[in-house]
Amino acid sequence: MYAWKCWRESRARFIFLLIMFTVTALLFTLQPGLEIRNGWWYFDRSEYLHNPLPTAHVVFSMILSVLWCSGFLSAVFLGATASGSEIEPGTIEYLWTRPRTRTSVTWTHWGVCVAEMVIVAVVPIYLAAVLLGALTRHWDFPFLFFAPWMMVIVGLPVLGLTTLMTAMRRSASGGLIYTSGVVVVYAFLRQIVIVPLHLNPPTLFAGPLVWLVSNNQLPYQPSAFPWGSLWRAVFLAAALPLVAQYVLKRAEV
Amino acid sequence: MSEVAIFIEGLSKSYGAHAAVSELRLKIQPGAVYGFLGRNGAGKTTTMRMLLGLVRPTEGSARVLGLDPTKEPELVQILERVGFVPQRKQLYGWATPAELVRMNKAYFPRWSDGAAAELAKRLEIPMNMAFKKLSIGNQSKVALLLALAQGAEVLVLDEPTAGLDPVMVDEILRTLIEDHISQGRTIFVSSHHLGEVEQICDWVGILEEGRLLLESRLEEIRQDFRLVIASGESLPVAKSTDLVSATTDGRFRRYVVAREAERFAAELRGQGATILEISPLGLRELFLHLVRKEDPCTPGNAGAKAVPVSSFS
Repeated sequence: MYAWKCWRESRARFIFLLIMFTVTALLFTLQPGLEIRNGWWYFDRSEYLHNPLPTAHVVFSMILSVLWCSGFLSAVFLGATASGSEIEPGTIEYLWTRPRTRTSVTWTHWGVCVAEMVIVAVVPIYLAAVLLGALTRHWDFPFLFFAPWMMVIVGLPVLGLTTLMTAMRRSASGGLIYTSGVVVVYAFLRQIVIVPLHLNPPTLFAGPLVWLVSNNQLPYQPSAFPWGSLWRAVFLAAALPLVAQYVLKRAEV
Repeated sequence: MSEVAIFIEGLSKSYGAHAAVSELRLKIQPGAVYGFLGRNGAGKTTTMRMLLGLVRPTEGSARVLGLDPTKEPELVQILERVGFVPQRKQLYGWATPAELVRMNKAYFPRWSDGAAAELAKRLEIPMNMAFKKLSIGNQSKVALLLALAQGAEVLVLDEPTAGLDPVMVDEILRTLIEDHISQGRTIFVSSHHLGEVEQICDWVGILEEGRLLLESRLEEIRQDFRLVIASGESLPVAKSTDLVSATTDGRFRRYVVAREAERFAAELRGQGATILEISPLGLRELFLHLVRKEDPCTPGNAGAKAVPVSSFS
């Protein structure tokens, strides 16, 4: 029942994100053949038929250049509905006096969010892939089918961070603002290291996404997969919600 | 249900230097209806929250139905058997009462759909309006419905009738009496409405600054407790195990005596005092005598029986 409550509270954000990313993916997919005739937009698939594979890859690069952030955004906006966000409005007294452990409450919310993140990442890109396949009659887009899962994996540490921040700040807005703050400060500090010091440290956990963006051009020449970054993402994805669980277990209201 | 419903031993909760609850001792038997009284900030809500695992005690221990609320597996069992109405009756604003009922029933194996429907009807709750659009009174009624329909063995009610009109207060008290008290369920209720407490409770405990000043059967208060007003130039220090409190007002001294007021008055007369009045006490008068800040007050009879008062001024 708590899963239903999580869905009920996050569904508006989920539907908004799903529509936004799906429309974006579809616009990019249909854009090469769009032209104006008599003042109306028409889709003309001739470009896909004349030069199918390179066109499809250009389109895919464009989709990825925008949709790469879907995992992060979903994680922040959906994660901000975690149980810690109920402390400030006062509904937590109701929630924490139901016969469920705080641990189960934390992980049920996490599970619902992960399911929503997967749908937000998979649906737009797989829809674009199916359209590209149908239009070009080529189905050889390995990175395209791979992409949403990378987005979800690098989104999971952010979901954990948002869950933790809502617990520590005891509000949804606190979770949103502090997670954004941590990400921005981290990116800023990283830039300080990269630009003036001419260092290029490995990414903390976004390596799979960087790898994806830099390896989707033709011809395919995949560089070494950043396994270290992937494991760090997996570690943070598990560790941050565990810390949130600990904070919530000790919280008093 | 043979175990003690609520057992509290030396329970304390401090926030920094401020002691919200201090060495509290309570023993509430199954089937008792216990009114937990005190001024704002006396520690009633903190005590209730400690019983339900929302706040951790600094010292001491509590047992609800024999289970320890500081241990998570036992807390889950407590929450399955205890209905709670918090002071702040805040539920999900987007949900209708009907949705809240559906959500809530999934948590409680002894949930009664029949009781929920009956309560919704009796309390005149608009079941299909979003919770945030309900009046404060209706929001309180929804919180009560959810607690009362879950088939709880113990009800912990923190100011359950706050914000309700007199008709609804009467309806809720009748519901409590007919559906819960008559079935031998335990109720631990805090309220500022002493009339309501007198109507349903058989025990009262009065809390002040985290300490229990008095604990007694309501029947004993009605039958035995007396206010003795004495005057005299230099009134003697009274020593009696039956003395609950003594306050000074100029040349007058007011004594609240738990029993044998005539004997107590005779002792005072023997020491040169003039007895002006011996009168029975209502719960309201007793409460005011014990907790009014402007008068110095003795520690009361914390611990179920009147304790000796060695000196006071």
